[in-house]
Amino acid sequence: MEITTIKEKVSNVLTTILEHSNFEMSDELTAKDVDGWDSLSHMMIITKIEEEFDIRFKLRELNKLKNMGALVSLIQSKS
Amino acid sequence: MNLIFDIQKSIEEHYDRNAFCIGQEYHTYKELAQVISNIRSAIRSKIKGDETAIGLITNDDLQTYASIIALWLEGKAYVPLNPEFPLSRNHMIITQADIRTILDSSEENVFKDEHQTIATKELNTFPVDLTPLEVSKEDLAYIFFTSGTTGTPKGVPITFDNLSAFIDAFWALDYPITKEDRCLQMFELTFDLSVMSYLAPILKGACVYTIPKDEIKYSYIFELMEDYELTFSLMVPSILHYLRPYFEEIDCPSLKYSLFCGEALPLDVTQEWSTCVPNAAIANVYGPTECTIFCTDYTYVKNAENKTHNGVLTIGRDMKNTATIIVDNDNNEVAIGESGELCLSGAQLTPGYWKNETKNKEAFFYKNYKGKNIRFYRTGDLCNVDADGDILYLGRVDFQAKIQGFRVELSEIEFHAKVALDKVNAVAVAFTNAIHNTEIGLVIESDTIATKDLLEYLKTKLPAYMVPTQIKYIQNFPLNTNGKTDRKKLKEMFS
Repeated sequence: MEITTIKEKVSNVLTTILEHSNFEMSDELTAKDVDGWDSLSHMMIITKIEEEFDIRFKLRELNKLKNMGALVSLIQSKS
Repeated sequence: MNLIFDIQKSIEEHYDRNAFCIGQEYHTYKELAQVISNIRSAIRSKIKGDETAIGLITNDDLQTYASIIALWLEGKAYVPLNPEFPLSRNHMIITQADIRTILDSSEENVFKDEHQTIATKELNTFPVDLTPLEVSKEDLAYIFFTSGTTGTPKGVPITFDNLSAFIDAFWALDYPITKEDRCLQMFELTFDLSVMSYLAPILKGACVYTIPKDEIKYSYIFELMEDYELTFSLMVPSILHYLRPYFEEIDCPSLKYSLFCGEALPLDVTQEWSTCVPNAAIANVYGPTECTIFCTDYTYVKNAENKTHNGVLTIGRDMKNTATIIVDNDNNEVAIGESGELCLSGAQLTPGYWKNETKNKEAFFYKNYKGKNIRFYRTGDLCNVDADGDILYLGRVDFQAKIQGFRVELSEIEFHAKVALDKVNAVAVAFTNAIHNTEIGLVIESDTIATKDLLEYLKTKLPAYMVPTQIKYIQNFPLNTNGKTDRKKLKEMFS
């Protein structure tokens, strides 16, 4: 899948779960930079991404998701 | 006070062993002793003798843990202040506890003026001295602030005597820790389960593994368990709910004891978890901050029947230094099997809320028990007890909720929401979400309105876990048969 498509889909997931779109989809974006992205919504975002892309993350992979860039390339490697 | 001497003895006996693993970095007991001594020396020169409650910024580093021990050696209490909590809330705590000095290991002081700050990362090296001062039983070890109904957090002071009674009762449970053990410390230091998680290992020369603040807790815990072969853990059940979709990937044969506290522990999740930790004894412990960390215990039995109510495991029986009774509205003990409010007494019980006589009159009472006039604490938990003495948790008698183990007074959220909404009515409810964790919802009695300002306001008044995650609107609140707002109906609006 194209990086831009993945980014767009991830952006939509964030908007749905967090109920706002006050963020810039850069590779350096981290949960800290986004309002409402805490451990609870993180779980919901991860689950939603798994659904959207029809993929499954391993628990160990979740710790490596340090920023948006890492998330997008992990999704790309799986889909 | 023996407890403090025991801490000194254990640190000195285990100099070569690791005391902490913080952010993948090990620190030995020798290092801990040095940092404690440096901080202690600063406390001696900068804090007056009559100053007993000292603020502590809760960072995840060696200095913060060393500060606790240093204060105890000097017979002083710590009051944890989470730098991520709203400033106004921390200021309320500082005022209430009459804090004049704050120990802070941050690069830049969290509190700038008014208070004296001791920057614990920038201290000179002093000779190691771990010999405690004379400490009396009534001296305070810590004051923790929990959610209060009127928008003001209430302080729970715990004495060294309370803490010693807890440690004594904990060892009596026979979930032993030795110097070979690797123990999880997953809690924010404003949560009293943290005390057990660092103190018990230190008393035995074991190693404490903490969670860096910027990590996602549940997945980091799993990595610590597997990669560092942890042997002992105390967790809140909500971690299990997060991990549940990944149970198949988890295999931690090294874990010997897996304790849960702070929320209801469902039997089915416990059963599934037991296959992830095949060699661990699993226990469900229970207790409010008022009765020092926890005070009842139940050991889960594998492949046999476990007592439950609505699928929730029993909280078991009183620990060694606690006596429990279940009472009706007139403080009379109810018969076996009948439900009532669980009340606690014994050596772990706090002397009473910090400077809050109104609350103390509500929450504590004296009652003749086994021929003695005993002071009891009302937990607000609805329970019953069976013929074996095992206590079943049925629910709350009031409007308190538990979010990731943190106690939340729904009325405190409503109080702040109503201020922001300018007289529009609002009700906060705690509901169970799809992964069986508790979330806070807010129902506003109005048409749909923009909530950005409301949420911004709440974030300046409440810790993040108390800020509602979902908001709904209704023209008029439904009423129940007593003519009161039907909170049950409002709760059904969330899923």
